[in-house]
Amino acid sequence: MATSDPDAAIGSQRLDKETRERLVTVARHTILLGWSFVVLFPLYWLVSMSLKPPGQANSLPPDWIFLPTVYNYIQLVQQSDFVAAFANSVMMVSASVVIVLLIGVPAAYVLSRYDIPMERDVLVWILSSRMLPPIAVVIPFFVIFRALNLFDTRIGMVLMYVSINLSLVVWVMKAFFDGIPETLEEAARVDGATQFQGFRKVVLPAAKPGIFSVAIISFIFAWIELLFGLVLTSFEAVPVTLFVYSFIGSRSIEWSLLAAASTAMIVPVVVFLVAVNKYLAAGLSFGVVIKE
Amino acid sequence: MSTPTQTETANQTALGRLRDLWNDYLPYWFMAPMVLVMVMITFFPGAYDLYLSVIAEPTFNVFEAEFVGLQHFETAFTRGGAFHSFVITITVVVSALALETLLGFVLAALVAGVDSGRMKGFYRVLFIIPMAVAPVSLATIGRLMLNSEIGIIPYVIETATPLAAPNFLSEVPLLTVILLDTWNWTPFMFIIFYAGLSSVPDTLVEASRVDGAPLWRRYVHVIIPYMKPVVFVATLIRLIDLFRTFGVVYGLTNGGPGTATQLVSINIYEQMFINNQLGVAAAIAIVYLVLVVALCNIIIAKVGFEGVWD
Repeated sequence: MATSDPDAAIGSQRLDKETRERLVTVARHTILLGWSFVVLFPLYWLVSMSLKPPGQANSLPPDWIFLPTVYNYIQLVQQSDFVAAFANSVMMVSASVVIVLLIGVPAAYVLSRYDIPMERDVLVWILSSRMLPPIAVVIPFFVIFRALNLFDTRIGMVLMYVSINLSLVVWVMKAFFDGIPETLEEAARVDGATQFQGFRKVVLPAAKPGIFSVAIISFIFAWIELLFGLVLTSFEAVPVTLFVYSFIGSRSIEWSLLAAASTAMIVPVVVFLVAVNKYLAAGLSFGVVIKE
Repeated sequence: MSTPTQTETANQTALGRLRDLWNDYLPYWFMAPMVLVMVMITFFPGAYDLYLSVIAEPTFNVFEAEFVGLQHFETAFTRGGAFHSFVITITVVVSALALETLLGFVLAALVAGVDSGRMKGFYRVLFIIPMAVAPVSLATIGRLMLNSEIGIIPYVIETATPLAAPNFLSEVPLLTVILLDTWNWTPFMFIIFYAGLSSVPDTLVEASRVDGAPLWRRYVHVIIPYMKPVVFVATLIRLIDLFRTFGVVYGLTNGGPGTATQLVSINIYEQMFINNQLGVAAAIAIVYLVLVVALCNIIIAKVGFEGVWD
């Protein structure tokens, strides 16, 4: 291309590139804002439904402008079933997270630091507990829970929640421990610390972000679980998911109340997620991904 | 420090012995509870399902059980709708996995390329939010917005376009389930892919840019190969979890209309609790277990774990 003025050619090329980049940016944000709308609109719709007085909830065309009221939430809180179910879920899920960490984190540490025979098979076996569809698992537990008087108890539900999350905790934490240099504990050992002290005082603090993120993920997976509540509880240990479901199942749906209950279930988790979103990626990706 | 009395010394040695026991066998203590729980939640259900699937009625005295062979399996596949529910499940799993992977990757790539740090943070936080929505709440949202009488989406379609809105829950229930799951779980793929993209070394991308490789080539030849382990783990985990799908379908359509959205998990639930066919439910569960575990193990063996292990 030695025919025309080279400077002009470069200049026009640069201009083209700039326009193109601007176009790309516009297209990029258009798509991203479009997806933002897809994400937000259903949530907005749910929340706004929960804040409308029951008579206004289903009107079409919709009342875009309305006076928000907490009437539905007051109604909801006055239903002792809801409060009990919500409290049940908070207690059972939190307890399960503590237990699953107590069981899973030390095991992950051993898997990371020691030469375990058939380590790969052990890890796949652990993951296979997540491959078992809960519905296949729940039949045996239904029978055994009845035999052991664990049916419809909080302890029974905590056990089931632990079972959902254990493989996740072991896998994520193994990856995290792999990323923490062994020299850390060796130095502690040289200073006279026992193996356990080395783990507790040196390795655990270093793995804190991992523990944090895996705790949140475990909380979410237990919090949203419906099936175990459906099969293994009837009254005492009913989780909040089952409460919401029972609303859907009823013949005439009280939309406003249902919307309020669903919103009440979502809000705490959204707050959690947003608060820890920095750690979440590393946790979810089982540590394959280098932390940002 | 005063000299310890005799009892104190004795106590200390007992304690000391305990402490030695604790420290010398630390890996065993650390592993034992996990192994115990794992045995309980993997071997026991499988074995018990197998037992239920080949006996007439469950009894606590295993030796009194009446063995009926493969009768429950036959019932499951002839009258139990097992085959249909497997087809439905695989349709949902494959379509949702494909949609979520593709969408998650595109969104992650688009957000990763945003220049302004603040906008980047905004999108990243916003896009993970649907993950916080429990499937049962999602079923609420679906029923609320797609309802043919009071739903906003059919209303908007009918008023804003000349199209007639389908009745989402009765005419295209399977598509509705797939789309709702995509809304719910694309964030999972997004966040993992986003982290994966940010871990691709800049120098690698820069080098191919200098070589004049166009955008798509950079992705196909540099970025995606580098991210292979991330893509592998994300899709495997999502695949495993998709086979668990229950709540959203149970809340949205309860398997219906008819058996249009009767996933295997819904089918097993109905056989067990509606039809009281414990044996048939167990038989379907066994086939399901074998299928899912075998599939995942084949994938793990075939693709391997390069970059995932250590």
